[in-house]
Amino acid sequence: MLYTIVLLPVLFLLVLPVLNIVVLTFFDSNLSESIASMSTDLFMLLLKSLAISGIVAFISTFIGIVLGFSLYKSDIKYRNVFRLLILIPLFISPYILAVAWKDISVLIFDIDTSLFKKTYSFIGMILVHSTIYSPLSILIIGSALSNISKQMEESALLIGGFKDMFFKILLPLIRPSIITSFVLILIFSISEFSVPAFLGIRVFTTEIFTQFSAFYNHNLAMLQSLLLIFICVFLLVSERKRISNSVFLSIGTRGKEVKLYSSRKIVIFSYIILSFTIVFTVFVPLSILVYQSFRTGTSKFMEALSLLLPTISDSTLLAILGSIISVFIGFVAAYYSEVLNKKLMNLMLLILFAIPSTIFGIALIKFYNNSILNFIYSSFGILIIGYVGKYSFISTKLIGNSIKQIPKSLEEAAVIQGIGFFKRIRKIIVPLVLPSIFASFIINFLFCFGDLGISIMVYPPGTEIMPIKVFTIMANAPESLTSSMALIVFLVTILLISLLFFIFKKIIAKYNVNY
Amino acid sequence: MQSIMSIIKLKNISHWYSDNRVLDNLNLEIEKNKITYILGSSGSGKTTILRLIAGLEVPDKGEIYIQNIKVSETNKIIVTPDKRQLGYIFQDLALWPHLTVYENISFSLKNMNKSEIEGEVKGILSLFGLDDYLQKFPHQLSGGQQQMVAIARALALKPKILLMDEPLASLDVKSKRKILDYIVSIKEKYDLTIVYVTHDHREAFAIADNIVVINEGKIQESGTAEKIKNSTNDFVKYFIEW
Ligand SMILES: Nc1ncnc2c1ncn2[C@@H]1O[C@H](COP(=O)(O)OP(=O)(O)O)[C@@H](O)[C@H]1O
Ligand SMILES: [Mg+2]
Repeated sequence: MLYTIVLLPVLFLLVLPVLNIVVLTFFDSNLSESIASMSTDLFMLLLKSLAISGIVAFISTFIGIVLGFSLYKSDIKYRNVFRLLILIPLFISPYILAVAWKDISVLIFDIDTSLFKKTYSFIGMILVHSTIYSPLSILIIGSALSNISKQMEESALLIGGFKDMFFKILLPLIRPSIITSFVLILIFSISEFSVPAFLGIRVFTTEIFTQFSAFYNHNLAMLQSLLLIFICVFLLVSERKRISNSVFLSIGTRGKEVKLYSSRKIVIFSYIILSFTIVFTVFVPLSILVYQSFRTGTSKFMEALSLLLPTISDSTLLAILGSIISVFIGFVAAYYSEVLNKKLMNLMLLILFAIPSTIFGIALIKFYNNSILNFIYSSFGILIIGYVGKYSFISTKLIGNSIKQIPKSLEEAAVIQGIGFFKRIRKIIVPLVLPSIFASFIINFLFCFGDLGISIMVYPPGTEIMPIKVFTIMANAPESLTSSMALIVFLVTILLISLLFFIFKKIIAKYNVNY
Repeated sequence: MQSIMSIIKLKNISHWYSDNRVLDNLNLEIEKNKITYILGSSGSGKTTILRLIAGLEVPDKGEIYIQNIKVSETNKIIVTPDKRQLGYIFQDLALWPHLTVYENISFSLKNMNKSEIEGEVKGILSLFGLDDYLQKFPHQLSGGQQQMVAIARALALKPKILLMDEPLASLDVKSKRKILDYIVSIKEKYDLTIVYVTHDHREAFAIADNIVVINEGKIQESGTAEKIKNSTNDFVKYFIEW
């Protein structure tokens, strides 16, 4: 019943628009013309995008293995501090880092006049994407590493040395997570819009955007979209089993014994590599943003502040609404999939998640931009629909992992005692998964708050939200103003997360969920 | 066994998990106000029998009667678990970890005001010697105490039948004995029928009124401890040797 009530809007408001562009594209009378206009140039572009994202996925996954081990398996002090700092790039909007690295390259290489501009910007995109997605890989692989039983490693250590154990036991055991990490990052990178947009790089997503918004070549844009949707959905669905079995964030898993390595060599290596990464991915970009913002005094920063201040409330409100709805849908999908084995909604959300945001944006425009649905199209509603469609799967995944860990008997005991469905959900399931509900709320919030790909397509005129403001002003503003805006977005993001974290900690403390 | 006396009746019950047949045309009657032990090695289908009686599992074939009312039939639950007037002690106890002992027990009490609930819960808890643990959480109690809370919780709604799934498996001999004595005494006090599942035949011989030995989803022997001890069934002989 509840399932149907949630599933119907998911189908009609989120999935139908995507089906719609598929149908529109195939029944387009100019289909052959459009296909003809997909020149070899376009396929080269697709290959180039795939190559860039492949490199990003490879680098990030490699970093994920090395740093995942350092962070989760070596006997370092201040592990939680390291973990928090390492994860920062994952939690700030990609374009902030893009702006920062653009600043750096301008400072060092004077890129704007350089002959190598093109090459550098690709390197820039690989660099920024690797920075953003490595933490994800560290999370996935690190969680897998800490799920390996202590005995298994120790018995291997008794037979061979550390090297043997690492290559013959650990790596094979975490192979599913390595593949998951590679595939996910490949999809994320090839669908990502804001970094190439900010760096001014022509890749497949930015090309679709240009065709759609600049040349109004909707049919071609949709055809290109379909190609990319197909690639992403194919990759994700073919890896669905592996992805749904990998752990990601293990929130609230209780005391499992993890083998920690305390040899001097390993520990010192870990400290060095972790510190270097944090300096390189967090401190350098931030310092450069600060430097650029205040190089010529505080006037640019104040100007940026006055530009962005009016956008904060709308951006925050939209992101909060979007993540509340996403968490709700995610919870329902997760509960029905884990407890009652109804997996349809999960699959829908997974596919929506795999669709690049610019393309989802196009789908929404094509579906909602008509006289009947215009009340949604011309309001904030369209943004909320976009966020919810794109990001609900994250909640499903995180909350589902937690629900899986609740013994079925806890609910059955309540069934026998005549506790009704909603009371069981409210008083038993929800309190027990509260930490992951909050975690997924925060993560959803960050994604909505930093989203550019969907927003730039669908935002109704007159809306002021942060990423769009930064993006549109950047086009014809001095570098220092953009840097100041990126810095402000970063500070606001950190402030909001801290605030949410503080509130949630208070609420969680009320429940005895950390038993 | 006269069928007039039986409070639970399983008729021609078969049950599968995907293509693994767990119960094979099982016929079983449980006598009223007695302690019946279902004895069998692990994986023999004991838990499945309890779950079928409770209505947590739908029989793939056959019928189940409780107090002469048909509660389940092939692929159908006729009377839902909460209407079967039974208490269930799960193998893992299933105490709600985020609720205190008091909340665990008061959780299902309805149609009472606050002070009535308080009186009720305190009454039950003092019966089980748990007066000092009202505000404790399950993980702050010993295994034996958790056991007592689970039983107290199951009895809060005054069921006619108590289903117990190897609840004492993890306890030491002394606590086990103490709780078994309790179980016998509450049976008298509450006028209960108890169905108790275990793989430990010594426990069964010590307190069972009736014993049913099952293996691979089929009943091998049933009757009093004396009858089981003298059984000529090969499996039963083998089973109680150990
Ligand atoms: N939910 C389930 N899904 C699949 N197989 C199950 C399930 N529950 C039990 N089984 C299988 O059914 C058989 C009997 O299980 P169970 O009734 O739990 O036995 P017992 O309680 O005697 O150990 C076992 O082989 C077990 O693996
Ligand atoms: Mg069992």
